[in-house]
Amino acid sequence: MISLPVVLAFAGVMFGIGLYGVLGQTNTIMVIMGVELMLGASMLNVVGFLRYTHPDATSGSFFVLVLMTLMAVEAAVGFALVVSAFRHSRTAEVDDLTELRG
Amino acid sequence: MSDLATALVFWPAAVLMLVTGLYVFITSSMARAGLLLLASLGIEGLVFLALSSEFLGVLQLLMMSGEMVTMVFFMVMFMPDPGGLMGMDMVHDKRRSAAVAGLVGVGLALVAVLTDWPARAVGTDAPDVRAIGFEVMGRSMLTFLFAAMTILFAMVGGVLLAKYGGRYRIGAPAGEDRGGEAR
Repeated sequence: MISLPVVLAFAGVMFGIGLYGVLGQTNTIMVIMGVELMLGASMLNVVGFLRYTHPDATSGSFFVLVLMTLMAVEAAVGFALVVSAFRHSRTAEVDDLTELRG
Repeated sequence: MSDLATALVFWPAAVLMLVTGLYVFITSSMARAGLLLLASLGIEGLVFLALSSEFLGVLQLLMMSGEMVTMVFFMVMFMPDPGGLMGMDMVHDKRRSAAVAGLVGVGLALVAVLTDWPARAVGTDAPDVRAIGFEVMGRSMLTFLFAAMTILFAMVGGVLLAKYGGRYRIGAPAGEDRGGEAR
């Protein structure tokens, strides 16, 4: 019925959807959303491996917890950067934020 | 949970998770995109529950609901058309992005399906929430504290980045007070 490859396949497709957001979206907030989906996919990967290879290990859950923390931190710092960039350039569009371009 | 009940929760939830995730980047309304992302990551919590990870499933639902509601506020603040009434297109390099993302997604799924993983079925030996509680207060306490400190540093760093003035004195419009700093 459900097996590790099925879980990993769903996680892979979810990662691809997140990657589409990161590569294709023009607004910084939408790019952050894409990264969130990619991190969500990696969490699903870890939960899949945890449940199907080491179901009796409790310590594996904390790897997922660290990923959840990473998601929260990435969103917090990302939003702060957007606020800072918006204040400076009056835009949150990635195409317009060109100051660091070589 | 029996095999049938697990399958009845897992399959619809996993498919819905992908569909809502995809619609995040298809809809032209920013508020809707935020709520769809909340739905996608919330449904991922249901998938965790179906995989006998009750603790992680509930934690995912709680964390994502808080995080995504905050994200909706930011989207409404910084999007030129948060309601999506003008039907604007916010995508650049659409074809190549879709091609690369599609290749990566399908490639990963194929690798997942074609590889011979050392898999065990989900059994009754899955640890309960009580065992995870003992783990938090024991061996994994350092990890837990590390996560808490990371969130705290991110909060402080976020406020420092977003406030007026700062080291490079950027952001404050001309003639406006720079957050109480002496000029």
